[in-house]
Amino acid sequence: MKTLFLTSVFLLLAIISRAQTADELLNQLVSKLEKVADYSANVLIKADIPLIKILPSKAKIYFKSPDKFKVVSKGIAILPKQGFTDMNIFLSQPDEYMVVLAGDKLIEGKQTKLLTVIANSSESDIILLKLWVDPIDLLIMAAEVTTRSSGNVKVSYQYAAQKQFGLPSAIEFKVNVKEFKMPKSIASNPHRKSSNKTEKRKMGTISLELSDYKVNQGIADSFFVK
Amino acid sequence: MLLKNTINELIKIIAKPRSYIGFGALTLLIGVILLAMKADGKSFISFVTASFEQTLSFNGEILNGNLMAFVILQMLIIHVPLLVALVTGDLVSGEAAMGTLRMMATKPISRSAILGSKLLAGAIYTLLLTLWMAFMAYGVGQWMFGSGDLIVLNNDGLVIIPSDDILWRYLYGFGLAYLALLAIASMSICFSVFSDNSIGPIVSTMSVIILFTIIGSLDVSSFHSIQPFLLTTHMSAWRSLFEMPVPVGDILNSVYILIAHIIGFTGIALWKFNKKDINT
Repeated sequence: MKTLFLTSVFLLLAIISRAQTADELLNQLVSKLEKVADYSANVLIKADIPLIKILPSKAKIYFKSPDKFKVVSKGIAILPKQGFTDMNIFLSQPDEYMVVLAGDKLIEGKQTKLLTVIANSSESDIILLKLWVDPIDLLIMAAEVTTRSSGNVKVSYQYAAQKQFGLPSAIEFKVNVKEFKMPKSIASNPHRKSSNKTEKRKMGTISLELSDYKVNQGIADSFFVK
Repeated sequence: MLLKNTINELIKIIAKPRSYIGFGALTLLIGVILLAMKADGKSFISFVTASFEQTLSFNGEILNGNLMAFVILQMLIIHVPLLVALVTGDLVSGEAAMGTLRMMATKPISRSAILGSKLLAGAIYTLLLTLWMAFMAYGVGQWMFGSGDLIVLNNDGLVIIPSDDILWRYLYGFGLAYLALLAIASMSICFSVFSDNSIGPIVSTMSVIILFTIIGSLDVSSFHSIQPFLLTTHMSAWRSLFEMPVPVGDILNSVYILIAHIIGFTGIALWKFNKKDINT
């Protein structure tokens, strides 16, 4: 009985200490990300999405903490709806979620810790966030965002010059596209029937190459007004 | 002689008030579409991209002059033939109804040259109408909405074409639209040769287009074997220029079929007109 009690206490302490580690790690990560008040960067977007044919396009992205984001492009640029700034906004509100440490994984030669962030509110669009964090450099190496509105998005990151701010040099999004439906009334081309090769892929990939970062140089709020 | 008679035919076309209906209708129709899009184009765009926008965000000016020209061309390619037939369907039968065809046939010009000049005048009228449509749809569209990448929804999904890769597609596209309208013009002139009143060839031309369009758009297996031979199927060939990669073989096939139609209708018209007993 005594042994069982001691074991239970020990296990409880172990879980609490593990939870504290998860909280601490996430807090450190969020603190690092919050050092970025604003940034702008050039981005090369390559999209490989079933049912969409688009050549690589260039754009410029602007961000201002906590939630202002703007994409300026000469042509049409496709970005994922989730997994960009919404993740940072969600993480900046610690009362809105709880976090647990759920394991380790080796990503690109780095030992990462998996933080599972669960939304407290049933109203929150983000339901679950899995973050694979490099605990030494405090960098998000990969993420998986599950939202109410648009399902699941997997994100992987690479870092270069802006490592100290946690800003990636390349991001790859894997988005779920199984819900895409074509409005046949306006898509129909009587001259050519649809090809027999039906697109069976369910996942699309959007790759971003970010360069020419300008961090914390100040961007006026008015710039983000449409 | 053919050239002089063609000029005479053009003068006759210019003198008829109905010749301006096409230009007026195109100006009004395209003007209304452009203004409506300027006022509420965003909702039209969201209808196209709605299925994708749950997962993806489209950034940049989707509503631009290139998209407007595409939308207008798609909307009007089935209706402009009526405006063409309104004039070309009357070229022979109108004169037969007025009694001037008999007088023309007494002049020292062959019947083939008479009909040839009417065909040429009809082709010039159709060209002017196509150019006006191109000016209104592309020119005015660019002026009102500016340029930008073109987003096209086709059978296999969304195609996004960069703005610097679009102009040549429109040049060929309007060229193909002209060829299609020329086929309609030659058909209506052919019908016109068989008739002694103006209304018959115009209504017949439109009936054929409506019938072929319905057969072409119905996804019924018994129609599948007919659809590749319908004139209206090949009238939409311009749309294939906005695919990536461009199906050159299919487009060339349509060009040949449209030219074959033009030659066929012209041949029948010449044969009939040379044999025609002109009593009126």
